[in-house]
Amino acid sequence: MTIAAAGQHSMARLWWRWPAGVVVLAATVFAGTCIGETAIPLSVVVQTLANKVVGATYPLDPIDMGIVWNYRLPRALVAASCGAGLALSGLVLQSLLRNALADPYLLGISAGASTGAVTVTIAGIGGGAVSMSLGAFAGALTAFLLVALLAKAAGGGVSARGTGQIILAGIAGSQLFNALTSFIITKSANAEQARGIMFWLLGNLSGVRWPDVTLAVPVAAIGLVAGVWYARALDAFAFGAESAASLGVPVRTVQTVLIGLTALVTAVMVSIVGSIGFVGLVIPHAARFVVGVRHGRLVPATALTGAAFLMAADVLSRTMIPGQVLPIGVITALVGAPAFALILLRGRRRP
Amino acid sequence: MTFPRLALAAASLALLTAHAAAEPTKYPLTLENCGETITFDKAPATTVTVGQAATEALYALGLGDKVTGTSVWFTDVLPEHKSINDKVERLADNDPSFESVVARKPGLVAVQFIWHVGPEGIVATREQFHEVGIPTYVMPADCVAKDNSVGSDGTRIATFSTETIHQGVRELAEIFDVQEKGEEVVADLVKREADAVERAKALDLKDVSAVFWFSSADMNIDPYVAGQKGGPAYMLNKLGVRNIVESDEEWPVVGWETIAKANPTIIIIARMDRRRFPADDYEKKLEFLKTDPVASQMEAVKNNRIVVMDAHAMDATMRTVSGIEVLADALVDLGIAK
Repeated sequence: MTIAAAGQHSMARLWWRWPAGVVVLAATVFAGTCIGETAIPLSVVVQTLANKVVGATYPLDPIDMGIVWNYRLPRALVAASCGAGLALSGLVLQSLLRNALADPYLLGISAGASTGAVTVTIAGIGGGAVSMSLGAFAGALTAFLLVALLAKAAGGGVSARGTGQIILAGIAGSQLFNALTSFIITKSANAEQARGIMFWLLGNLSGVRWPDVTLAVPVAAIGLVAGVWYARALDAFAFGAESAASLGVPVRTVQTVLIGLTALVTAVMVSIVGSIGFVGLVIPHAARFVVGVRHGRLVPATALTGAAFLMAADVLSRTMIPGQVLPIGVITALVGAPAFALILLRGRRRP
Repeated sequence: MTFPRLALAAASLALLTAHAAAEPTKYPLTLENCGETITFDKAPATTVTVGQAATEALYALGLGDKVTGTSVWFTDVLPEHKSINDKVERLADNDPSFESVVARKPGLVAVQFIWHVGPEGIVATREQFHEVGIPTYVMPADCVAKDNSVGSDGTRIATFSTETIHQGVRELAEIFDVQEKGEEVVADLVKREADAVERAKALDLKDVSAVFWFSSADMNIDPYVAGQKGGPAYMLNKLGVRNIVESDEEWPVVGWETIAKANPTIIIIARMDRRRFPADDYEKKLEFLKTDPVASQMEAVKNNRIVVMDAHAMDATMRTVSGIEVLADALVDLGIAK
C-alpha cells in the first residue's frame, strides 16, 4: 500500500527526532531550573540537583537550594505537564470533532473554572477555607457536565451533525459561565481583587510546589497513554465516524471516553495554573506540520512540543521584564501567534 | 538634649503657635481639592462618607454628630469612636450606590479613595454629585503626588508623606469651622510620629531591611507587597529601615524567590478582617512562612522577627501613625539593634 509505505519511509527518515525530542525536553527543564527572577550561579543549580538526586553533600545556602529545588524545578515540571496535557487535549478534540478550531476550553472548562475561582474569592463562598484551585476545579467539572448533558439532549454524537451539536453546546455553556463570572466580578469586586483574579485568569505558575507536580505529571501521563492507546482510532475518525465504524472502531465509546478524559486533564491543569490560552489550539497544528497527521507519531510529538513550548514561555515570562513576572498566557499568545503564522505560511508552500 | 528632642520641642512650639492662631473660617470658603475647585457658603450641616479613613477623620474632629451615613469599611472602627459610630447608619459595607448617598441630602460627601468618585467612579463621578448641588471632598492622601489615571490603584509620583494626612484633617476642619480642633488633632499626630521615630533612632539601626506582605491571591502564589512610595515605605524611611522591594507601584506582586534572596531582617504581615483570599488571614501567612521550604529559611522567620500590623495602618490614613508606632515598638522589642 502506497500510503503505508510512504508513512514507513518518513518514519525511518525521521527516527532521530525522538531522542532529539527527549533531549530538548530535558534541556528545557534544566533551563527552567537555571533561569529565574534572581541570579543563581549554574554551579549552585548543578550542586543542588546533585545533593537532592544522587545524595551528594555540597555545602549550599539553604535559600539558594530551596529556590532551585522547591520553586524552580516543580515549576518547570508542572509547566511541562500542563503544556503536554493541554496540547494533547486540543489534539484529541480536534480529531474527534473534526474541527481545526477545537481547543481544550471548547467544552466550557475554562469558563467554568473562572466562575468557580471568582465564586470562591470574590463572592466569598467557602469563607476562605476553600482554595481558588479547588473552586476552579469544581467549576470546570460543573460546566463540563452541563455542556455534556446539553450536547446529549441536543443529539450530540459521532456523526457530522452530532459533533456540530457538541460544539454548539460548548459555546452555549462557555457563554453562560463567562457571563456568570462577569456578573460576580461586577457585583462585588473592587479594583484590587479584580487584579488578583485577572492575574490568575491569564495563567500563573508562581504558586506551584511539589504536591502540584505529583498531580500534574500523572494526569499528563494518563493523557499521553490514552492518546497513544487510541491513536489508530483517532486516525480512523479523520475519515468520518462511519468509516471509523466500518474499520471496527467502537465510535461511541471512544468518543465518550476521550472527551471525558480531555475534560479531566484540562480541568486539573486549569485548577493548578489558571487558563493558559493558545497552547491547546496551536501546538497540535504545529506538530501536524512537523510530523504529519498520523496519530501514532502526532500524539507524542504534540505532547513533547506542548511541554517544551510552555516551559520556554514560562522562562520568558520570568525574564522578559526584569524584576517583574508577566502572566504566562500573555507570553504564549505573544510568542505563539507569530510562530504559528510562520508555520501557516510554510505549510502553504508545501505540496 | 539630643537633636531629635530639640527638633521635637521646636515643632511642638511651632504647632502651639499655629494652634493659638487658629481662626474661625471665613465663608465663602474656596479650596483646591484633587483637581477640582470646591466652594462652601457655610459649614455643611451634614455629611456622608465614602471610605473609612474619611469617616474616622471626621470622628477625630468631633464631627460625628454631622455624619449621617458611612460606607466602604475595611475593619472595625477605632475603639475611641465606637460609641459615636454606633449611632450612625452604615449605608453599605462596601461601595454605596449613588442614590443611597444622595437620598441623605448631605451638605458634603467626604471620600477616601478617588476611584470611588473619579472619572470612572464606582459610586458616581464628582460632577454627578456637583450637578445635584452636593460638594465632594477627597482626602488629599489619595491624590497629592499621585497619578490616578495610571494603574488600577493609581501610581504615586512621589513618596507618600503623613503631611497629606495632616492637610486632610486641616482642610476638613476648615470646611466645618472647627480649626482649633483640627490643629489639636494634627499636633497629636505629629507628636506621636516624632516620638516613634525617636525611639527607633535611639537604636542606631544599621543595615536593617524589611518587607511588608499584604496578602496573596492564592496561598503559595507571588504575594502583594508594599512598594517604594506608599505608606509602608514612608514608615520604613522614617525609622531608618530599607524596603527590599524596589518597585514604585503601591502594591506590586513580587515573587517569593526574590524576597527570599533579599532575605529581609524583618517581615511585617497584614492583619485584616477581609476574607477573600486564604492569605488574608494573618495566621495563614504565619503558617506559610513557617512551613514553606524556602520562606522558612529566611533570617526573619528563623529568628521569629515577624511583626503583625493592622492592614488599615498600611493605607494612607491617620492610622499610618499607629503603624509607625507599632513598627518602632517592634524594632525595640525584637532587639535587633547592634
